[in-house]
Amino acid sequence: MNNPAETPWLSLQGISFSRAGRTILSDVSLQFGSRELTLLTGQNGSGKTTLLRILAGLLKPDSAILNIEGEKRAESWMRGRSALRNNICYLHQQPYLFDATVFDNVAYGLRRRGLGRSEIGRLVTGALKTTGLDHLIQRHCGQLSGGEKQRVAMVRAWVLQPRLLLLDEPVANMDKPSRNKCLALINRMQRDNIAVVLTSHDPQQGALHISRHLHLYQGRMASKESLAEPSESPAAVSPAQPEKQPQERKPNA
Amino acid sequence: METLSEASRQALFLLFTGDKELWTIIGISFTVSLRAILLAAPFALICAFSLAYTRFPGRRLLISLFNTALSIPAVVVGLTLYMMLSRVGPLGDLRLLFTQDAMIIGQVILCFPILVAMGHSALQASDRRVWETALTLGATPLRAILTVIHETRFGLTAALVAAFGRIIAEVGSSMMVGGNILNHTRNIPTAIALETSKGSFAQGIALGLVLLLLALALNLALTSIQGKGEVAP
Repeated sequence: MNNPAETPWLSLQGISFSRAGRTILSDVSLQFGSRELTLLTGQNGSGKTTLLRILAGLLKPDSAILNIEGEKRAESWMRGRSALRNNICYLHQQPYLFDATVFDNVAYGLRRRGLGRSEIGRLVTGALKTTGLDHLIQRHCGQLSGGEKQRVAMVRAWVLQPRLLLLDEPVANMDKPSRNKCLALINRMQRDNIAVVLTSHDPQQGALHISRHLHLYQGRMASKESLAEPSESPAAVSPAQPEKQPQERKPNA
Repeated sequence: METLSEASRQALFLLFTGDKELWTIIGISFTVSLRAILLAAPFALICAFSLAYTRFPGRRLLISLFNTALSIPAVVVGLTLYMMLSRVGPLGDLRLLFTQDAMIIGQVILCFPILVAMGHSALQASDRRVWETALTLGATPLRAILTVIHETRFGLTAALVAAFGRIIAEVGSSMMVGGNILNHTRNIPTAIALETSKGSFAQGIALGLVLLLLALALNLALTSIQGKGEVAP
């Protein structure tokens, strides 16, 4: 949180996680407002991915106090977990694309939200067109390059308009053109009021408007530094609805 | 004793002239085995998924038990079931001995470990990111399970084909608990055994041909589902 006037919609206090007797995270606390771009750095094994997986509701921490929009959910991680999953999308370092076409992959989450076929078609087509991937719409995902797969996975998350998007080293091992396209897409998400956390070994992410830099060292938050206010963007638009957001940001919309 | 060519000629004649007795045997075989596999598959899939995706005490022991059960001879299953279902057995009151239901129970016992062990192998080899990606994109746990099943469909289909192949061709259990009663519990393998013991090979060869054609059809279907059958580029 770098804007003191803004109330964080999500905060997790005292996250601890250990596995097989080894402490991976110890007393980590985080809070998120909207439109923040947080860079999470740390060495291999510092706990970055584990932290993201806990935030995404995919791992259960040993202890944590979860607060979503002022409602404490410390009493039941299971209940809090479903709230996290409804608001947060997580992309693996190498995102998994289902054995289907690009269209079906991007439409997957929209179908889970019960949208109609025409609405899904419009949103998917719009999002792919906006990101310059519309020529791949009927292509099978097995035929995509690594960079294309990463961007399709990001679009698949973007169309759902999550409140927080967690990207695990999204531009690792990418060539420069693919990297620039991915970074442009991350900036675009930020303009769409999506808070983004991305992990990296490299603290220099030149093309991004990073709001906050967090550093994990041996499972502890080693530094917490606010860099800049997220840039205002009155022209922020969603992928497929030029006048409004494609989805209202309600859990289980 | 008939020569092989004469017996084969008679076998084809029986098949293509729609010999009623022969086709009744084929019908019983398919009905019993299909019902057995349909009954076993959903429970086996749940069991395989639980073994692959959850952690609980005794999980490894259970996997070892299912793998061991793969090698249980059909005749041992038949013998055990016979003792259970016979009039003096603990389930004798159900009066299931020498019925198709008894044959189905035997075949369920035979195919269940195959479905679980092969299903577990396929699911265990699947990418855990499928499950996590589905959840993070808003799928319910049930929907996420269906997505994992879809992504693992080749391995799971192979398990179904292998299990069906085992039970449609097994003779020991069906013979012991079915009794090989004509038009009631006589299926393809028990009929082949009977005809061979009588020295009448035509019907046995005809039924054997049906089993071979079935194996071919199942494998063609599997290959078709699996696509090109090569590693994706």
